[in-house]
Amino acid sequence: MEKAKISTKQLFALVVLFEMGSAILVGFPKNLKQDAWIANLLGMAEGILLFFVYYRLYLFYPNLPLTGYLQKIIGKWPGRILGFFYIVYFAYLSARVLRDFGELLSSTIYTRTPIFFLMTLLMLTIAYAIQKGFEVLARVSELFFVIVYIMAISGFILIISSGLIHLENLKPMVENGWKPIIKTSLKETLTFPFGEMVVFTMLLPYVHLSKKVKTVCISGMILSGINITIAAVINIATLGVDLFTRSSYPLLTTISKIQLLHFIERLEVLFMLYLMIGGFIKVALFYYVAVAGTASLFKFKDLRKINLPIGILILLTAMIIAPYYSEHIVEGLDIVPIYLHWPFQIILPCILLVIAFIRNHKKTAKEPAP
Amino acid sequence: MKKQYLSLLVLISVVPLLGGCWNQRELTDLAFVMALGIDKGEKKKYDVTYQIVEPSNVSSGQTGGGGGAQGPPIVTYKSSGNNLTEASSNVTKQIPREIYYAHANILVISEELAREGILDILDKLERDTEFRTTTTVVIAKDNRAEDLVSTLTNLDKIPSYKFIKTLESTESLLGENIKVTIDDLLSAITSSGKEPVISGFTLMGSPEKGTSQQNINMTRSQALILADDLAVFKNGKLVGWLGQNNSRGAVWLLGRMKATNVDFDWKGKKDAVSTISNLSDTKVTFTVKNGKITANINIETIISLSEINRAFEIKNPNEIQELEKKTSVQIKKEVESSIKSVQKLKADIFGFGEKIYRQHPKLWKKIKGDWNNRFAEMDYQIKVKTYYRESGIRDNPFWSDINQ
Amino acid sequence: MSIISKMLKKKQKQRKNDNYRQKLDPSDPGELLIHRAYQENLARIKEELGNSSDLVSKEIKIGNIHGAIVFIEGLTESKVISNFILESVMQTGEIPLGVDYYQYMLDKTVALGSTKTITNWNDLYDSLLNGDTIIFLEGYNKAISGGTAGGEKRAVSEPSQQLSIRGPRDSFTEMLRTNTALIRRRIKSPNLWTESMKIGTVTQTDIAIMYIKGIADDKIIQEVKKRLNRINMDTVLDSGYIEQLIEEQTYTSFPTTYHSERPDVVSSQLLEGRIAIVADGSPFVLTVPAIFIQFFQAPDDYYSRFDLSSALRLLRIIAFFIALVGPSLYIAGTTFHQEMIPTTLAIAIAAQRENVPFPAFFEAMIMEVTFEILREAGLRLPKSVGQAVSIVGALVIGQAAVQAGIVSPVMVIVVSITAIANFSTPVYAMAVSARLLRFVLMVLASFVGFFGIMVGLMIMVIHLCSLRSFGVPYMEPLAPFSRKNLQDVFIRYPLWAMKNRPMHISEGNMVRTGEHQKPGPPTQSNKDTSQSKKGNQQ
Repeated sequence: MEKAKISTKQLFALVVLFEMGSAILVGFPKNLKQDAWIANLLGMAEGILLFFVYYRLYLFYPNLPLTGYLQKIIGKWPGRILGFFYIVYFAYLSARVLRDFGELLSSTIYTRTPIFFLMTLLMLTIAYAIQKGFEVLARVSELFFVIVYIMAISGFILIISSGLIHLENLKPMVENGWKPIIKTSLKETLTFPFGEMVVFTMLLPYVHLSKKVKTVCISGMILSGINITIAAVINIATLGVDLFTRSSYPLLTTISKIQLLHFIERLEVLFMLYLMIGGFIKVALFYYVAVAGTASLFKFKDLRKINLPIGILILLTAMIIAPYYSEHIVEGLDIVPIYLHWPFQIILPCILLVIAFIRNHKKTAKEPAP
Repeated sequence: MKKQYLSLLVLISVVPLLGGCWNQRELTDLAFVMALGIDKGEKKKYDVTYQIVEPSNVSSGQTGGGGGAQGPPIVTYKSSGNNLTEASSNVTKQIPREIYYAHANILVISEELAREGILDILDKLERDTEFRTTTTVVIAKDNRAEDLVSTLTNLDKIPSYKFIKTLESTESLLGENIKVTIDDLLSAITSSGKEPVISGFTLMGSPEKGTSQQNINMTRSQALILADDLAVFKNGKLVGWLGQNNSRGAVWLLGRMKATNVDFDWKGKKDAVSTISNLSDTKVTFTVKNGKITANINIETIISLSEINRAFEIKNPNEIQELEKKTSVQIKKEVESSIKSVQKLKADIFGFGEKIYRQHPKLWKKIKGDWNNRFAEMDYQIKVKTYYRESGIRDNPFWSDINQ
Repeated sequence: MSIISKMLKKKQKQRKNDNYRQKLDPSDPGELLIHRAYQENLARIKEELGNSSDLVSKEIKIGNIHGAIVFIEGLTESKVISNFILESVMQTGEIPLGVDYYQYMLDKTVALGSTKTITNWNDLYDSLLNGDTIIFLEGYNKAISGGTAGGEKRAVSEPSQQLSIRGPRDSFTEMLRTNTALIRRRIKSPNLWTESMKIGTVTQTDIAIMYIKGIADDKIIQEVKKRLNRINMDTVLDSGYIEQLIEEQTYTSFPTTYHSERPDVVSSQLLEGRIAIVADGSPFVLTVPAIFIQFFQAPDDYYSRFDLSSALRLLRIIAFFIALVGPSLYIAGTTFHQEMIPTTLAIAIAAQRENVPFPAFFEAMIMEVTFEILREAGLRLPKSVGQAVSIVGALVIGQAAVQAGIVSPVMVIVVSITAIANFSTPVYAMAVSARLLRFVLMVLASFVGFFGIMVGLMIMVIHLCSLRSFGVPYMEPLAPFSRKNLQDVFIRYPLWAMKNRPMHISEGNMVRTGEHQKPGPPTQSNKDTSQSKKGNQQ
């Protein structure tokens, strides 16, 4: 583990940016039509419940990352193997998010630029940040947090003052009953992005004031959840259900409708770049966790040595995971949540928690308090 | 070790750069399409006319050549194709620059084509990353789109601005036309409870003279583009026009009335009063009785007195009430006739279906399939409420003093 | 590996060879002592100084004893020597027997404020080369050194770089003592401590470290001393040398130490807990630790009211940003994102560019480089020619280039705005980094437009966040964020609200403003306070 300490403010900024990262771009369950936002909100509530699992695990081993306490809970070798799977999972997610943003760039403005080049450029930036260490990443996130909020608020004002919001588009609410909403929320909005908080099991040991971790993480999740919900509401209200479900990137389509004074228009590029900030943090965190996990598993002292090889691996993975965008999205909606997110985010941590609970219970039973 | 990484880094970053600058395009390599006109083709399916701006003829002076606009501010090119992509590929044979759609702000579709159906042209326009879906759509009434797009105009050097600004000013001051974008059009087409309506434009005068620069050198234009009526669509085809009065009623019902004038008789004198209605609100609710749907249309508006050519006592509340009432009656008349004529066309341009869906989703599921027929037979109740506010900078008109 | 290690060894050898010292080898103590015979001493000085022509030696006779005085012409105050040494020496009559001649000289003859006794050659050269006068006496193996340092020096004048509308008008000079005095005159506290050292094996430059004890962080003071002691270099001609050797990170375009020619600025830095490094021969005083936002704080900010100064500071930060991205935005906008430019403007720019033969990137490069050349030339040119050149330059850039169709008028506007914006950064070192990074961003923008600029700026932000100045994060108090320290960042709080010193820099003694300092209209208790004031006076 790197010797780094981050403050709770930095943790908060990281949580919010990480959660919003790509979810604000593609995290709206379009199959629910005008009720998509409800699923976002539900997903947040479920995500918070799930976070308590991670938090309990953290409380058992406050100084160890996930890869560390896996070995304590299920034994050295099984723990290592499972830890390795987790690292691969994180690296894969990093590649997925990278691809999301690569596709965003190449399908909207850089239509004739190879996606590989765009992703390389983004990856170089991220690799540079990781080379500088986790503390720098945390500090950068603080600055980005402010920028993201200024942009988000100005975008919000622009959309409202362009008179684009038609709240009647949200009606009728819960047209087909609650069942599909709950189902979708468990499948999509819980696992993406809120379940991805599993990354922080690797990062929480860095936090300086461990007492505040719970409140900070949860308030960060709530804030980002509300933001995503607001984004969903605005998208639906502006675009109408039909266009909302047909756009690849609803938020960008919404932004493209801004027209003010015949002067402020076509702001997609600016806002897309602002979305890149969220993407940056998200890819960077998955990437960093993959690097740090590898370092702790294979006993590398210097993270920086394995930074670039893993970065290149992620970049190549992002290139080859899907031949084209729609397959990438289909994978993301149908395969990844069930076969990857559920086991790694929910099932395994719950099992771990049970075992850890029994073990620690035994320990305390054996050694009664003096 | 570090050096190896460094060289790798440099390699990674340099290799793609060697490939060139993929999306880079100089401004001078682009042909800015300002307006797009689509006609029914003679040989192929479509004839597409591209109105392209000639930058050096628009902005005045200082650049190189020695001041002043030399030629016309726009040039038009025409090409044909069985779809829009083919047409835009074909047009490159004539244009030395790359066609650039991002600044196109008007799409003109000819009436002839609109009657046959416009669905086939929409996907390209929506899918293209350059084309703005906030582009305004208009229908060339009784004219070819090509003629409208090629006409030079006064006041606004670039003709496409003329379309937009004319449309905006009629929408905000007269209330007979509305600005419909490709987005609006699409959402109306995809919605099962709404049909699209698009403003019409027509050309007055000779199309030939309109293309000559003489047209803008004359005080009285030989060819003039003007906004005219609303086109009603059904299933992606133009099915009819709403004339002047019916247009206004439709705009009231769409809830997009910004301002308009309402004229009526006063004490026996024909059209003696004209009021301006500002700030209006239209609410439509539905009641179902015995399977029969009734639309309750509530219109509220604030009026001001614009002109009165008859004696009038402004301080008399009864007179004011009379004024309000007569305005309401007039508005109601317009709305009613508009609904009737639209019902004849069996095309729900007012989005009543959509409103039913929002208010009574269960009911909507039952009647969805047969909606346009039900719409044609639907009952309606119109209530107009007007609120008098002001009367300009005079109290009683001079008519009160000359006692006529 | 082996090649590198060989090279390293070679380097070490070279270093050993280079590392000769002007000072004598202390391992041979006999060599260090001053000889009893003054003529021997004179001969030795002459030999070791290569018989330099500015070395003045004069044999004298004081009463009945022989001796000599030695000084270097130009470094000394000649009036002082003639009035207080030569004259009194010559007027000295016979020295009574039984008196220690040396002590007599020291007590009665040499009428100088500072005299000291020197016994070895190292000290002797130190004093001599500092402008002191050395007096040898026959038969004594020690010498008197009289403080006669002086000679020509520049007077305290108005600052030439960091100008301000309001505020003091003096600036540092090349004299170390003058500079320390200028600071001490502002902070009349016994806690203002000054420590001295000499850096530069050949130049033997005097350095003073100044800080306010109790406000400055002891750890940082130790770190500064450590880093200064580490310097092993023959030359220190300006504080710039020291700056480059003590900064934390060399590979950065951002300055991590602050320098100023204004005593008021340095004093305010000291009062915030920073440490000043004054080098002899340099009118720029370094202060450490430095943080990013500090380079946008102009002295005016504190002398004028807070609303105006906050607005101006925001303007400066925006201007810095414009100077950074101006031309690259132009490139990105015109070659990648034409859809973002409002239609009318796009057409206008297109019309202007119609006759320009170059792509936008080269157009921008040509203009930027031209401007940079002009700026650099303007700096080096004699003042009398400068104006003529700037007129020619303005014509070349402004009109001729446009008329010849080489660049478009918009480009000229962009370049001029960028240039002017660049000048609004108060500290040159920061302005120059924007100047440099601008070109990097232009290249990035020419490859991938806004995304390139974005990536460039992101890397810049990461880099900024990774920098530290003497252990203090460079982006304090923004990242790591600290609300308490925000009082002097984008908005300068009213003086009464700036209650504490910046926490990340100073240690202990945090309170700088008392309670209830907010001014207001006279209140009921006005009488009481005036009475209590009177009481104080009594």
